Amino acid sequence: MAATLCGRLLPKQGWLPLTQSVRHGSKAVTRHRKPMHILKQKLMAITEYIPPKPAAPPGALTPRVKPVQEESGLVLLLKKDLQTMFQDCKMIAVIQNNATNSEDMLLLKHRLHKHGIKIKFIPNQVMRSYLADSPYINMGPLFIGQTVLFVSKEPKVKEMLLSLRTSPQMVLLGACIEKILLSRQGVLNYAKLPSVTVVQGELVSGLTMLTSQTASMLQHHPAHLSLILQQYLKQQAPAGSTNGTPGESPPKAEETA
Amino acid sequence: MLCLLKSAVVGLTNTGRSTGVQGVLQSHLKVLSAGMKTYEVPPDYSEVVLPERPKLKFLNKVPNLKKARKEMKKLRDIQGPAQTANTFTKGQYGIVALGGGYLHFGHMEMMRLTINRRMDPRTTFARWRINAPYKPITRKGLGQRMGGGKGSIDHYVTPVKYGRMVVEIGGRLELGEVEPILKEVAKKLPFLAKVVSRESLAAMQQEQQDMEQNNQNPWTFQRIARGNMLGVRKVLSPFDLHNHGKYSGKFHNPGRV
Repeated sequence: MAATLCGRLLPKQGWLPLTQSVRHGSKAVTRHRKPMHILKQKLMAITEYIPPKPAAPPGALTPRVKPVQEESGLVLLLKKDLQTMFQDCKMIAVIQNNATNSEDMLLLKHRLHKHGIKIKFIPNQVMRSYLADSPYINMGPLFIGQTVLFVSKEPKVKEMLLSLRTSPQMVLLGACIEKILLSRQGVLNYAKLPSVTVVQGELVSGLTMLTSQTASMLQHHPAHLSLILQQYLKQQAPAGSTNGTPGESPPKAEETA
Repeated sequence: MLCLLKSAVVGLTNTGRSTGVQGVLQSHLKVLSAGMKTYEVPPDYSEVVLPERPKLKFLNKVPNLKKARKEMKKLRDIQGPAQTANTFTKGQYGIVALGGGYLHFGHMEMMRLTINRRMDPRTTFARWRINAPYKPITRKGLGQRMGGGKGSIDHYVTPVKYGRMVVEIGGRLELGEVEPILKEVAKKLPFLAKVVSRESLAAMQQEQQDMEQNNQNPWTFQRIARGNMLGVRKVLSPFDLHNHGKYSGKFHNPGRV
């Protein structure tokens, strides 16, 4: 017993005891359980009960089937709205909304309303599920976090950018303008373009100028030839015969000119 | 109590019917508006027969012997599992010993007084499953010098082994009604003891059987001890050969097979 006590109490080498017992008086327990023989201890240790492995729970092996959730009426309505919106509207801009307060939002709404642009709040989940089976599937990554749609029937990009400049907490992410998906930079470039009528006018004028030029050039050569011929005739006439020609006056005019 | 309720309900319906057809209809409507409640089926106590003397009998402090003989310690009588009185006979609830030990007259008086005082003798009965103290314990008198042979008989005790029933309680009652009494008694006994009902005791034994059947450890105590592997029998006692390490002396090692 003394040996065991010493073995218990003597600290290991290289180890400082953190707490030291201060009891040195009488012991309360004087009878100790007889230690088991080491061989029997080993025997007891290796013959312990090992429970059978629990069978796999019933849901573990079969793939988990997600319950098919029927879409609520509101979602269906929103989807129908979206479909009409994508059909009718030429400009659909996706804007990130960073904690705009209601007052700012109201002001922005008014400002946009002047140009016929509407602000639409549509849940991202609905939007993504609509985009998944529509030709605009590439717009999906834009709908992350708080997003707002600016929608208008005419592509009034310049006006939209102007009114966005006053509210810095709204960040333009991208837009679908006339069924073409544009990035933020693309939208900015688009805004710098002149309006369609002007471009069309330029185009028409350019085209008409070219045709007129060709026409004039086509007319130019015979006229020039006839002029040269007339000049030649005039020069030959005084030398050969002095009978007056009907084209006497034009060379005069030319000479005067 | 049930009879009283029934009579009250019958009386109410009678008064309702006496008013006429309308009254009956109204009572039906009332029942419908109150909704349906399904009560648990109360336990069937029809086969319970209360004995004439439901309380615990007084146990003699000293057995009535012609000649009291001193005995040896015979510690075998508290080692290992109980082979007798380890199942229920008459009652439904009881105290089962989870270790070996000696019960003396004081313990029995404590049990008897506590249970007799707290139980309801009209619905409950209690029975001893242990005998009155019969094993003599000798002591030398106070202040006596050592030597001079074995001392005289001091008192008598009842040896109890693991798994032995100590007290049984039965009658027209549920476990919840007697559990506090039995628990109070069980924690005062000189060995670990537990309050059990017929079902929980059967479940305990079934669990032990299942453990023995489903043990995944190929090396069981029995196999190694029987085969005398590595000469391990040198450190095992015949007691271990019988009990396979489930008991060490009067103590039970739970969780072993």
